[in-house]
Amino acid sequence: MSIHWAEPVSDEWEKVNAELERAFAMSRASAQAEDSFVYVVHHDDLLGRRGAGNAMVANGLLSAARTAAIEGSRKGWTANVIAYDDDADREEVERWANRMLHSEGVTGELIRIGSSHIGKALP
Amino acid sequence: MNGTVVVTGAARGIGRAIAERLAANPSFTVIGVDLAPELALAESILPVQVDLTTKKGVAAVRKAVEAAGLPLLGLVNNAGITRDSRLVNMSDENFQAVLDVNLGAAYRLSTALAGLLTDGASIVNIASRAYLGNFGQFNYSMSKGGLVGLTRAMALDLAPHARVNAVAPGLIGTEMAMAIPEDVLEKMISAIPLDRMGNPDEIANVVWFLLTPLSSYITGHVLVVGGGRSLS
Repeated sequence: MSIHWAEPVSDEWEKVNAELERAFAMSRASAQAEDSFVYVVHHDDLLGRRGAGNAMVANGLLSAARTAAIEGSRKGWTANVIAYDDDADREEVERWANRMLHSEGVTGELIRIGSSHIGKALP
Repeated sequence: MNGTVVVTGAARGIGRAIAERLAANPSFTVIGVDLAPELALAESILPVQVDLTTKKGVAAVRKAVEAAGLPLLGLVNNAGITRDSRLVNMSDENFQAVLDVNLGAAYRLSTALAGLLTDGASIVNIASRAYLGNFGQFNYSMSKGGLVGLTRAMALDLAPHARVNAVAPGLIGTEMAMAIPEDVLEKMISAIPLDRMGNPDEIANVVWFLLTPLSSYITGHVLVVGGGRSLS
């Protein structure tokens, strides 16, 4: 079971590409082992507030998790996403990530920790 | 206002329908970009045959826009490919190829042309309903999700000077869809409330709406055009 924290990237395509490639490698290895995984992203990046590079990574991971969840649901593993904001406590994020890794009934979900998403667009 | 609009992936399918829809209006000079050698478009469309995954290709498009000598009114990032397989079997090569074309090329071209956009210009990114998840398309889904992210970030970055939106087509009757085995296609159509595939002109109409002042107060939006498939 794996937790993948999206690393902040600059707006250079090579950095974006490398970060998505890193997530792909982890996800494929997890899928091959029939293990669940969770991506952790910053909520501001889902809305594009911290630059194009971070937005491409965060939203790319969200979509990838949804697709992986469809594939995993046939094999019993899950894929989910946690989005945190600047007020969120890292330990709380990790608790939620672990909870999702061990929850068989929750997959393809986005859990947002913090309150900055309230009233904003649904990613 | 008269001006130029760039459409990528213009040789076939949705891109071709968009280019032709725009070119039918005399206000627009359409630059049609594609890698395919069969880029024989309507006479009124200026063809640029390049590989958008290269810096040279992107530079050639920018040069064509400058040579047209008109305000740049819009960009439609439509070029895309698929290399489907389940995640467990997906090769590094197929992952990278889809990411390069569907997301990397759109990002590079948008960045290269952003400085040329005139006030009130509009960028439309052709994403896919697969950004909500689709079996066997981890790479494609990630690339289209990334394109949604790019849409949101550029919408914030370019406002109020220009608008940026995305269209997420569902199953559309293009060559890509026709390559799907008939029994699979029938099953897919049966899951669409409107009970049919869309046609490329129906996407072109939505792009027209998002490119023109008809949608002047809309930016950073993703418009799903899938016959209700996301509900069923």
